[in-house]
Formats: sequence, structure tokens, C-alpha cells
Amino acid sequence: MKCGIEIHQRLATEKKLFCGCSAQPGEEKPIATIERRQKAVAGELGEVDLAALHEYSRNRIYRYQVFPGTTCLVELDEEPPHDMNKDALETVVEVCLLLNAKVVDEVQVMRKTVIDGSNTCGFQRTAIVGSDGSMETSKGDVGIQIICLEEESCGIVEEKNGEITYRLDRLGIPLVEIATAADIKDAKHAREVAEKLGMILRATGRVQRGIGTIRQDINISIPGGARVEVKGAQELGLIETIVEKEVKRQEGLLRVKEELEKRFGKNTLEKPAMVDVTEMFKNSASKLLRKECVLAMKLEKFAGLLGEELYENRRLGTELSDYAVAKAGVGGIIHSDEKFEKYSIGKGDADELKKRVGAGEKDAFVIVAGERKACERALESVYERALHTFKGPQNEVRRVLPDGGTAFMRPMPGSARLYPETDVPPVLISKEWIGEVRRKLPEKPEERKEKLLKVLNEELAERIMLSKNYPLFEKIVNGLKVEPKLVAATLEETVVSLRREGAPVENLNENKFMELFIEYKCGKFVKAAIPEILRYVSRNSGESVSHAVEKLKLEKMSEKELKKVADEKKKAGKKGKELIEEIMREHRLRVDISELSKIVGA
Amino acid sequence: MYSKKIQEKLKELGIEIGDRVRVKSRGEVCEGILMPKQELGDPNAIVVKLSNGYAIGLNFEGAGLEKLEGHRKIGFKSSDEKLKHVAGKPTVSIISTGGTVASRVDYTTGGVNASYSASDLVKAVPELGEFNIDSKFLFGMMSEDMRAEHWKEMAKAVFKELKTDARGVVVTHGTDTMHFSTAALSFMLKDLNKPVVFTGSQRSSDRGSSDSFMNMLCAVNFASKSDVAEVSLLMHGSSSDDFCYAHRGTKVRKLHTSKRDAFKSVNDEPLAKIFPNGKIEMINSNYRKRSEREVSLDDKLEEKVALIKTYPGMDPEIFDFYLGKKFKGIVIEGTGLGHVPTAIEKYSLIPRIKEATKAGIPVCITSQCIFGRVHEFVYANLRKEYEAGAVFCGDMLSEVAYVKLMHVLAHSKDLEEAKKLMLTNIAGELNERTPVFE
Ligand SMILES: [Zn+2]
Repeated sequence: MKCGIEIHQRLATEKKLFCGCSAQPGEEKPIATIERRQKAVAGELGEVDLAALHEYSRNRIYRYQVFPGTTCLVELDEEPPHDMNKDALETVVEVCLLLNAKVVDEVQVMRKTVIDGSNTCGFQRTAIVGSDGSMETSKGDVGIQIICLEEESCGIVEEKNGEITYRLDRLGIPLVEIATAADIKDAKHAREVAEKLGMILRATGRVQRGIGTIRQDINISIPGGARVEVKGAQELGLIETIVEKEVKRQEGLLRVKEELEKRFGKNTLEKPAMVDVTEMFKNSASKLLRKECVLAMKLEKFAGLLGEELYENRRLGTELSDYAVAKAGVGGIIHSDEKFEKYSIGKGDADELKKRVGAGEKDAFVIVAGERKACERALESVYERALHTFKGPQNEVRRVLPDGGTAFMRPMPGSARLYPETDVPPVLISKEWIGEVRRKLPEKPEERKEKLLKVLNEELAERIMLSKNYPLFEKIVNGLKVEPKLVAATLEETVVSLRREGAPVENLNENKFMELFIEYKCGKFVKAAIPEILRYVSRNSGESVSHAVEKLKLEKMSEKELKKVADEKKKAGKKGKELIEEIMREHRLRVDISELSKIVGA
Repeated sequence: MYSKKIQEKLKELGIEIGDRVRVKSRGEVCEGILMPKQELGDPNAIVVKLSNGYAIGLNFEGAGLEKLEGHRKIGFKSSDEKLKHVAGKPTVSIISTGGTVASRVDYTTGGVNASYSASDLVKAVPELGEFNIDSKFLFGMMSEDMRAEHWKEMAKAVFKELKTDARGVVVTHGTDTMHFSTAALSFMLKDLNKPVVFTGSQRSSDRGSSDSFMNMLCAVNFASKSDVAEVSLLMHGSSSDDFCYAHRGTKVRKLHTSKRDAFKSVNDEPLAKIFPNGKIEMINSNYRKRSEREVSLDDKLEEKVALIKTYPGMDPEIFDFYLGKKFKGIVIEGTGLGHVPTAIEKYSLIPRIKEATKAGIPVCITSQCIFGRVHEFVYANLRKEYEAGAVFCGDMLSEVAYVKLMHVLAHSKDLEEAKKLMLTNIAGELNERTPVFE
């Protein structure tokens, strides 16, 4: 098996890659929708891109939702792109250095043709920043082919009757794309590589987090099979399954190919006639078949093959159906290796269908229902796909299904899909700049972990090392000399539990934490008071930490005051451990236990 | 362009743009097609297109260069193929003059270049198959370079097509000065009997999202099916690809640098709304109808006309320049209702207007407000301009007044006649009433 993965990770820049819009879409509501059509056009060398043509053949209308804070005329393709975001480029240079890749001298922005409407321009802007890197894994080095900086596509809102609605807030967010060489050994290894790349990216502290901010595409081929690109795996946990199922699918298709060679010899499948059987189902119990048009078609000598299981719950019939869905926009097809009862087709109807399409014992047939044009296109696609099975697996792009299986999306795009973006000047990367980035380079994940394990337990070390708060953690620990454990626990645990109880923790910015630990370092309050203070400050973000401490009456007890309290307790006959426990119970948020022990002990 | 050093090296090695090359730089080797240098790039970086389609720039300093087997031709090959007529289909003539609608990426200059012919565009819009298309290439120029001589050539070319059995004529044109050209042809084509439709695009035709496809489709439909025998300008009606507006050629202006719906009708309603499926909805009932009249060409223009904009701090001496250069007419784009500086003697334009008028040179007043009409009596300062001899051009656009003055001066024997003609509606450029808009 040959396998490589491509990772797409959104960068945490303030602004988008080629305009001044915010790169961090929030909860905004769309304020308007525009509508566009796109055409396949001849590329740089005069060729029309195959993938582009395929999308065009679907003749779609695209709608785009406009968001006030995250959409400007650039996303609408109504204004040329602005200069490239230098912060984004710097992050990608950093990633290149972390992956031992060679950084190019001049970044050339290219236009990558996309006609699925996911970009209003009809292309995605992308540029190689580095190449020829490598990373260590448990199964040997894995090569890094290219590292690109590119713009995120539109988010899909819905797809209905051949019309897709996209949201423009996502379009143009900077992404880093990392493509590994086909050095991945097996399914488990694929997951390891994806995980490790994710960790390196997070170590920069400059990538976005959360659902949808990282995606993996997987390239898989087996000997005798084809190159298949599986798009859009968002969960790491699914990667193993995806690889396993795709290998099985390609193996299955090779079996089908062999069987077809036996059945057909040197011949191939003649184009069958489409038979109109609409009136047969006029009064059918099946809603699925009571449509404007129902067409049926024989597939000569295919009996039994459509039911061939490629992997669990996926049959060859589904592969044919996928094509019809993707190319004709129908809901699916029904084939003769399925249980007809499922569709309320009785034995009589089945026999009648067989007769009408002229199918014998050795033949299979398919049915499709819907609008006439769509049905015709669907059956043409089924025939096209059936012809492909004679050649085994096809080079194609597939999308991930929730169970880790995949479905046909579009043919593999040709190389005609990239041409220069002349609206954006090339960007020179000087040796000096690379040197500067190298000096600021974060440690590798394993180095960072080792360092942290000296001061933190394993769980906390793992959490903080990949956290977006890591730079702040370092700043507080190194700058203010506060105990690492307290800082890590505050940033990772306290804040999370405050969020769970509903406190607006997004108000706790870097300045607030710095203030908190400066006051703490000055002895204004004790550790135990921190959650109370943070809760208050998050709800009253205009107020300072010292004001919060005053207001909550959480000032640390002075030695004098503490002595007085201890003396009173002693008078009341308390002593030793019991005395300490009682004082802590009453004044937990204001007393430092070690200080108290010292006083009581003295 | 590459630096001289790189050019010399390429020459020495016999390497041309488009050749496959191997570049060794800093211990790394990379192979690909040598690309031309973009205008904006660093002239010392060699640009190579890799087999994965990406291009990268490599520093030439200390790099080793080697020629490999293979060459690829870079750039788009325009087709000049004549399209065959089919009996029974309506014929539309398309004249291409250049602009973004005819543009493609050009790798040698690093920008978009007007090199796309109308027949290339027809190929890109298969819906045009319901028409017989006669496509003519007139020029391949960006519209900012156009001058009066080009309007004349355009008018001649359109006139010739109007004499054929074509249902109408479409002119593809750069957008920047398209409204000057539509105004010029509106005055030059007398007794127009068929639609003459100008169209262009804001996004070049080499991109799938170009507005050129729909504009072209709507323009051909409008030229063939409508009964509007006027020179019109047809472009997107909104940011969406949903419909186009046809605007009267003398009542339209580009009002945005980059949006698809950059053109708006000014002081008039658009003539019609045109949908990509060919449907036409008339909006304005005031237009010249298609007829059997005999069209004539009147392409005389007085080219020595200037368009001057007033602004706070302007120096009136600019007038002396034009008067010294023997200009025959001046349009002043005033502020507000048509104001020019008057109160401070040193900076007042009034003496200059008087001087020009005395020399028989008409001074016409329009407004930089774009929307609305000028007025000679509302303020005392306006009356001073009027008394000095200025001609207030009603609701005429500055650009149109400029073109019209060229036309008028080529057809009038004295100042009085020129003034009278400026205020006479010739091609819909003057409206007596201003419609109420949204
Ligand atoms: Zn924007």
C-alpha cells in the first residue's frame, strides 16, 4: 500500500490572508445572500481542467451568505486581493523549519482551479513556501513533500436541488497545507503521522483550535489499484478506518475486474437502452417510485456483481449509485441485487421489470426515479461507472462518510489546475528573516514535554504543552517566577471549570492573568482565592484584579492578624492540627497554610 | 523581466522561457518549466513551475542551471475561426475592441492582457449557439488608452455592421471609458434603426467566475430581441449573476472601481432588465424604436476640447494653458449646482470664463456630484458664471458633455449656435424631468 496525507490547518492570525476581514468567524448572522454561476475555462496551457469540467457539467447555481464582520468585497470577488498577510507567512515559515523543509526564496502565489463554487473566484489562492522536509515517526522517517500557505474555502450551509449555499465568513482564512510523501506504512501509522503533525502545528501556538479548524486528506493506492484522494477527515480517530476501508474497496474492485474478465473476455459492456417504466409505478406503494419519471436499464452479465461487498455495508451497486448522485443529483438508484421489498416492489413488478429491460439470468438491472432529465443523466453515469469497473479502481477524489467509508466526489483533477495569481506580487523571503524565525522557534513537542515533566505531572504537562496558553504560561513562569504548577492549573483547569459554570472567561485576557500573578507574587492573596477572583473579574471585566480582591474581601491575612486569630483559638482550647483545620475551614480563601503552620508551630 | 545577469546566462545556455530546466540551489535540486518573470517579482529569482503545478522562485545567486529535454508553450492561443451561419437563426454582429472582457493572464507582462477574440468568447458561452454570430476584431486595447480617433473607427465599424442583415450589434469594450464611447456613438450614429449594445466585464474571461459570460449572453439577446434602437451599455445589474441592466449610452457612468454592477444609470432609469435566459423586461418607456429608417454616420469631432475639474485651491491659470494651446471648447466640472471659485478675485474663474467666451470658446458647466442637475440662478455666484457666458448643461453627465461638445463644435459655425446645440437634446443626454429613484 502507498499512503500519504495532507493536513490543512487554519492559522490563528488576526486577519485573513488577502483582506482585512477578521480571520476568526464568530456567531454572526448573515445579512445578505448573493448568487453566482461558474464556468469551466481553459487553463494556462489552453486545457480545460477535468475536475472543473465535471463540476460545470452539473450546471449549478451557488449562493453565498454575506457576514458583516468577516466578509468584504474581496470575498465577494468584487475587489482584487490585498497584499499577503505577513503573520500568516511567518507562521508557515516556522512550520517549514520545524519540519526541516527547505524554504523557497520567493513565494509565488498560484490560482488553483475550483469549480465546485467553494471559492467565489473559481480558484483558490495557494503558494508553496517549503519543500523536501521530513519528520521522525515510530516507523521511520516520513518525508514532507510540500508546505503551502493557502486560503480557506467557503463553508457549506446546505445543498438542495443542485443549488449549494455557502457561507463567506470562512473564505480567505489562512491555512497551512502539509503534504507528506507516500511513506506511510499502514493505517495505524497514518494516524500517528496525522497526530504528530497536529502536535507540531499546535506547538507554534499560532494555529486555530476547535472543530473544523484542521482537516486531513488521505492519498491511498494499492498495487494494481488507483490513486484515490479522500477528502475532509476531521477526526483523527477515523483515519485508521478510512485507510483500512479504502484498501478493502480497491481490493474488491480488483476482484470485480477479474470476474468481469472471465465473463466478458475481450469484450466490454455495450451501451444498454433506457426503458421508460413510469406507468408501472404510477400507483406504487413506494413514494420513492411515484415520480415524474422512472427509467430502468439492463446491465448485461452483471448479475450478482452489484451485490459484491467491497467492505462492510458497501457494495458495487453503491459505487454506481454514487456516480449517479454526484453527476445527476438524483437521490440514488435501485439495483437488482438489492432486496426489492425494501422499496415495496413486489415479485410481479420485479419480473415485469426484468422482462421490459430484457434481462436474463446472467444480467443485472438498475432503476432510477425523479425528473426525466436527471434520470437520463443518472443512467448515463451508471453506464459510465460500470465501464470503469472493467479497469478496476479509478483515480478519483472521494469524500469521507461518518462511518469512515467514502463516496465518490469527483474525478482527480489534472495538472492544468494551477496558474499564476497576477494580482498578488511574489514575496521574497530573505535569509535574515528565516534566521529571525529560527531564533524564535518553539522547541519540538518531545523537547518541550521533557522540560515540563521536570516541574509538572504528566497530565498537566501534556495539557499545557499543546495549549494555546503555552506562550502565556512561559511568560508568567519565567518572567514572574510563579510556581509552574499553579500557573498551568490556573490556565488549564480553573478557567475550564469557570467556563463550565457559565462565567464569561473570554474576558480573561493576557493582561488580566499577568495582573493576577503580579498581585499574587506581591502577596496580596493566596492560591485558594484565585478561582473567586477570576470569576469576579470575568463578570466585571472593567475592574482590576486588586479592586476585585478588595471588593471580595480576599486580602491575604497579615501575619499579625493571623497570629491574633490563632491566639483566640488557642484561648478557646484548640491546638495543633485541630486548630489549623478550624482556621482553614473558616478563612480558607485568605490564609496560606504553610504560613499558618509556621505560626502555630512557633 | 529577469535581471540582465539571468538573461545573459539563459542566452549562454540556450534556454528559453517554457523550456524544462534543472536548478541546483543551496544543495537542493529542482526541475520544472522555466516561467517568465512577473513584473512585480524579484528580477534575481528564477521562477520554475514544478510538475505538481506550483511555481516557486529560487535565488539565482550561486545557483546552477541546466537545460533538459522538453518545452511547453505558455500562454493562450486565441482562435480566429469564423463561425458558420445557420439559416433561420438570428444574426448578431460582435465587434471586439479589447478590455477586460477580452483579457487573459499574460505571463510575459505579468498582468491581464487584451488578447481574447470575440469568437473565443462565443466558444466559452455555448448558449450563444441559438444565434449566428459574426465576430469582428477591431482593436485589442484597454479603454484608458482610447481617444476620439478610436470612437470614429468604432462608429465606422458599427455603421458597417448595421448595414448587414444583423439584428443588432454588440461591441465588447474595456469598462473604464466605455461610457465615453457609448456617448460618442450615440451622437455619431444618426437615425439609428437597430440596437447597438456595448458590454464588458470587471473580471477577466480566463476565470470561471468572470462576469463576461453572462454580460455577453445578455448583450447578444438584447441586441437581437429588443426593439431599443439606441446605443446602450449593458452590464451586471447586481453583485449576483442574476440579471443585467441596459443603460442609455448617454445616461450611464462607471461608479465603482471593481464591482460587477459598477455601472449605474444617472438621472434616468435603466432602459431594461435582461436575464441570462434571454428574457427582457423593459423599465424605461422613453426610447427610440427599431425601424426601417436609413442610419447615417456623422463622425466629425472637434478634438480640442478640455474637461476641467474644480476643487478647493485650484489655480485658474490652467485656463491659460488650454487657451494658449488654442482649445475650442471647455467643460468645467463644478461643485454642487455647478459652482466655480468666484469670490476671491485672484482665484476666481469668472474672468477666465469671460475671456474664453469673448474668444468664441464655449464654457460648459456640469457637476461633480454626478447625480442631479446644475442650476444657473439659485445662488448669486452661479448667476455670475452665467452672466460671464457659461452654459449650464442641465442634468448632463460631465463625460457626456465633454463628448457632446466635441460633436457640437464640429457642427456649429459660431458660439451662439454651439451654445444652443449644447442645450438641445440629441441622443437622450438631456432629460427635462428627473425621475424619482429609490
Ligand atoms: Zn474580506
